[in-house]
Amino acid sequence: MSGFVPSGSAAGNQTFALASRFALRELRGGLKGFYIFIACIALGVAAIAGVTSVSRALTEGIANEGQAILGGDLSFSLIHRQAGADETAYLDSLGAVSRVATMRAMSRRADTGEQALVELKAVDNAYPLYGTLDLQSGQSLEDALAQQDGIWGAVADLALLARLEVEVGDTLALGRSTVRITDVIATEPDKLASGMEFGPRLMISDAAIGDTDLVQPGSLVRWHYRVRMSPAPALGDIETVIAQVKSEQPDADWRIRSRANASPGLQRSIGRFAQFLTLVGLTALVVGGVGVANAIRAYLETKREVIASFKCLGATGDFVFRIYLIQMLVIALIGIVIGLAIGALIPFAAAAALANVLPVQLAANIYPAELGLGLVYGLLTALAFALWPLGRAHDVPPTALFRDIVTGGTKLPRKRYLVATAIMVVLLAGIAVLLSHDKFIATVYISASAGAFVLLVLVARVIMFLARRLPSVRSTELRLAIANIHRPGALTPSVVLSLGLGLSLLVALALIDGNLRRELTATMADKAPSFFFVDIQSHERDAFNDLLVAEAPSSEIRSVPMLRGRIVSLNDIPSDEFVPAQEGSDWVLRGDRGITYETALPENSKLTEGSWWPEDYSGVPLVSFDAEAGTELGLKIGDKVTVNVLGREISAEIANFRDIEWQSLSINFVMVFSPNTFAGAPHAHLMTLGWEEDVPTQTELDLLKTVSNTFPTVTSVRVKDAIAQVNDLVAQLAWAIRGASSITLIASVLVLAGALAAGHRNRIYDAVILKTIGATRPRLILAYGMEYAILGLTTAVFALVAGGIAAWFVITRIMEGSFVLMPVTAAGAALVALVLTVGFGLIGTWRILGEKPAPVLRNL
Amino acid sequence: MSRADVDQEDVDQALCKGLMMTNTPAISLKNVHLTLGEGAGRVHILKGIDLDIEKGMSVGLVGPSGSGKSTLLMVMAGLERADEGTVIVAGSELGPLSEDQLARFRGRKVGIIFQSFHLVPNMTALENVAVPLELAGDTAAFEKAKAELDAVGLGHRLHHYPAQMSGGEQQRVAVARALVVEPDILIADEPTGNLDDSTGTQIVDLMFSAQRERKTTLVLVTHDPALAEQCDRMIRVRSGEIEEETSSGRASQEEVTA
Repeated sequence: MSGFVPSGSAAGNQTFALASRFALRELRGGLKGFYIFIACIALGVAAIAGVTSVSRALTEGIANEGQAILGGDLSFSLIHRQAGADETAYLDSLGAVSRVATMRAMSRRADTGEQALVELKAVDNAYPLYGTLDLQSGQSLEDALAQQDGIWGAVADLALLARLEVEVGDTLALGRSTVRITDVIATEPDKLASGMEFGPRLMISDAAIGDTDLVQPGSLVRWHYRVRMSPAPALGDIETVIAQVKSEQPDADWRIRSRANASPGLQRSIGRFAQFLTLVGLTALVVGGVGVANAIRAYLETKREVIASFKCLGATGDFVFRIYLIQMLVIALIGIVIGLAIGALIPFAAAAALANVLPVQLAANIYPAELGLGLVYGLLTALAFALWPLGRAHDVPPTALFRDIVTGGTKLPRKRYLVATAIMVVLLAGIAVLLSHDKFIATVYISASAGAFVLLVLVARVIMFLARRLPSVRSTELRLAIANIHRPGALTPSVVLSLGLGLSLLVALALIDGNLRRELTATMADKAPSFFFVDIQSHERDAFNDLLVAEAPSSEIRSVPMLRGRIVSLNDIPSDEFVPAQEGSDWVLRGDRGITYETALPENSKLTEGSWWPEDYSGVPLVSFDAEAGTELGLKIGDKVTVNVLGREISAEIANFRDIEWQSLSINFVMVFSPNTFAGAPHAHLMTLGWEEDVPTQTELDLLKTVSNTFPTVTSVRVKDAIAQVNDLVAQLAWAIRGASSITLIASVLVLAGALAAGHRNRIYDAVILKTIGATRPRLILAYGMEYAILGLTTAVFALVAGGIAAWFVITRIMEGSFVLMPVTAAGAALVALVLTVGFGLIGTWRILGEKPAPVLRNL
Repeated sequence: MSRADVDQEDVDQALCKGLMMTNTPAISLKNVHLTLGEGAGRVHILKGIDLDIEKGMSVGLVGPSGSGKSTLLMVMAGLERADEGTVIVAGSELGPLSEDQLARFRGRKVGIIFQSFHLVPNMTALENVAVPLELAGDTAAFEKAKAELDAVGLGHRLHHYPAQMSGGEQQRVAVARALVVEPDILIADEPTGNLDDSTGTQIVDLMFSAQRERKTTLVLVTHDPALAEQCDRMIRVRSGEIEEETSSGRASQEEVTA
């Protein structure tokens, strides 16, 4: 009698395929209302895909040019000493060898006495084994460095010529010899391997360095032996080769690097920085997520009748949910694809834009793994923010067709949708933490963002609650503004959430940046000495000291013996196999460290455990270890530390731990040994000079000139120059970070625009009714302006507090510096919030004010 | 998946029972109470309704605004759940059915026509009519939908969207959509309320002829006395109670007493 369908075929009839069909039919209406959604997702995905792709292109670029950057397939570095005959013979057996010496030194103009700190590099005829060194004139390096009329040739960075105001053909004093600048370096293939540079490059020949007298026992010179193997080992085989070398030369104290990690420090920094920027990109995505949720809520609001119709016609709640989930996924995918397309193009754009800035060619390419990460983050964010509002569609009652029921907007969706949302959030956070270098910082960052998110939801609720409870005010405009803040569908939650997150991040970053720079420039420069003098030979130490006393009588001068060495083992566990107890101090085990000996506890240090050795101590060698590094490495009193200094392995027992105030930049060492440890070892001295009071720059420069002229082999580092160098680096990083975080702010603005658009219909209705009963446009503008200003100000206050706390945490707890609140930075952020909310709010409302009442009233 | 299967079995069992009880009324309400709203807004809308409607009957529900006639209609369609009392429609007791079971029940047993049509705007006329069949898993959904649209005289408008059709055409699509599942019960909430007189008359004729040809039970809510007059029975609702029942002139005695 009826069209009743038998159970067998009916059981699973409301399938995914059917839901997809329905979803696609509904999407025929176009993407109107979803542009903000798409833009939010596209922006975040583009940021993440772009940052990770560029970072990958950079590391690939370094890897591609690994041989040129390293200067060989393998590089063996020694400090203080050259390779012995056996070692040289062994290296020669591996392949073609090129020997390069690097050190810091002073170069001076003989006529004016002007001097500059240079990164000196002495190269042999085999240099460079890989890549080419280009000189501006096009002549060969060998010709340029050759000796002519008894003067060695030298080539330099253009920066040195500018600094000393010299030209090609001029001579410079270097150590106890003179060199002639014969050319300017256009490209230096192995520049990236050098690490942090304090001055421009000056390159001379291997034969010339002997004449300079700069290489003395204990002077800070590094000898690098680069080997070109034939055939060159494949990238994957390099580890095997290194292992073989280590087993064949177990006692060598050289540091081995391969083209696989030609610039490990740089690669690490790029990785860390990229991951931080990825987190910032994720924040942008999360801010945009608010826009996603808003768009879906608004869309479903317009679809109530359709949903109710479906239900009247036999659709289940699940089926309805599926229809809209599929639509959401389609729209999210559009955003993701746009984002990925932009993200994929970014490495190519960066390669073109940065071609002349970067010392390495970006390997611009499409990197599927990095794009995949963008896809995963985009999809998870869309789901995390969409499932909640979509879940509400499940419970739209079919009776909505018969009567207008005021929607229970605050009703929670069913438990399964809440659980699904929670799963997406956990996945998102989990992936972000798992993929980061520093899981602690990533966890802190994500917890802080999540905390801020929850807090902002509460703040929005509190604002709405207070607005509702506020006693009636007399001003009509203010009353309207307050009513707009708390009425159902108010802008409050969207504005507070999206803008609040973006601004908090911005305030935090601005304060961190500001504090770091203050620490660098103000605090550090105050406490730090003005000069470091390196490579003072023992026999000239007293004369040098006398000169300083004579030239700068009011200054404070300190002197310590200075050697460099590498930790070979801790408690007989080789340092590359040693597992630190905590993260953070593994740098102590990498590369060479400054080493000294002292009879008494150094200034700026405080014993935390153990006791200092007596003045005339002569027992087993003892060492005082930096307390923090000791804790993080898991060391205790009595542990055995073995260092290799000048090719000799020396073991000492940890006698005590001491706290070091690193920021003061005064002489400090992770390891201070008892004086008897290095008795008889040749070594140089390090001296510092500082003034209690501020001295004019000229006084510093005059002293520098005198010292360099009298002691040409001593290297002087002016702290202000070094700090300026670091400051420049910090500033560049800060700009990159600010650029990335401004994406978060753009996302905020998108969300804001979306929320305003969603509330448009309500506002037109309000404006028309108010105009009908006599409100003028200025009064309406005043009312809307007040509403936006209240929201913007509250959000700014929250952002200041939350961003301030975040910055304080980072500065004091993670970076262990001192924190100062910076009112100008803070006020700047507040201003941004106000301009954005009031500005965009009023722009959005402007059209509403021009609305003629009659057409709207007719359609009511 | 298993949950859906169980739901389905429940419904099928309930429906089979209904098919066996051939002499039972199409709709049977016993002592039905319903209160809506919360707190101070709570309103006792239906106050102990007892009502049997025989198969194949046409019934007009009339009464002033707010009397509860639309709510009564929703209870019969399984759209609103009674707080108290039993509701048996097409042989199924609706009380124990879950929300999803109710949805499936409606999809197969009840056709609904609304005052404001409620077609899905992004679907063509043909797709709109096919929706309930698609939801019920009918593989011939589009053929049947086309036939139904031909029957209401819209064979030439199959691929038009609601916005491209007149009010009368939209309501004819809605009627086709309600009839396409061959429902036991046809429910109409002021079906002519948004239409002019002559278009309204066409829709009414369409509904009544379908009801007679298919022996469907028709329940409609209307403010139009003339429309109510055309029904076999007219039930007047006031303040949530049945005030009086009139057998109209068109009532077919043999069907009533059968």
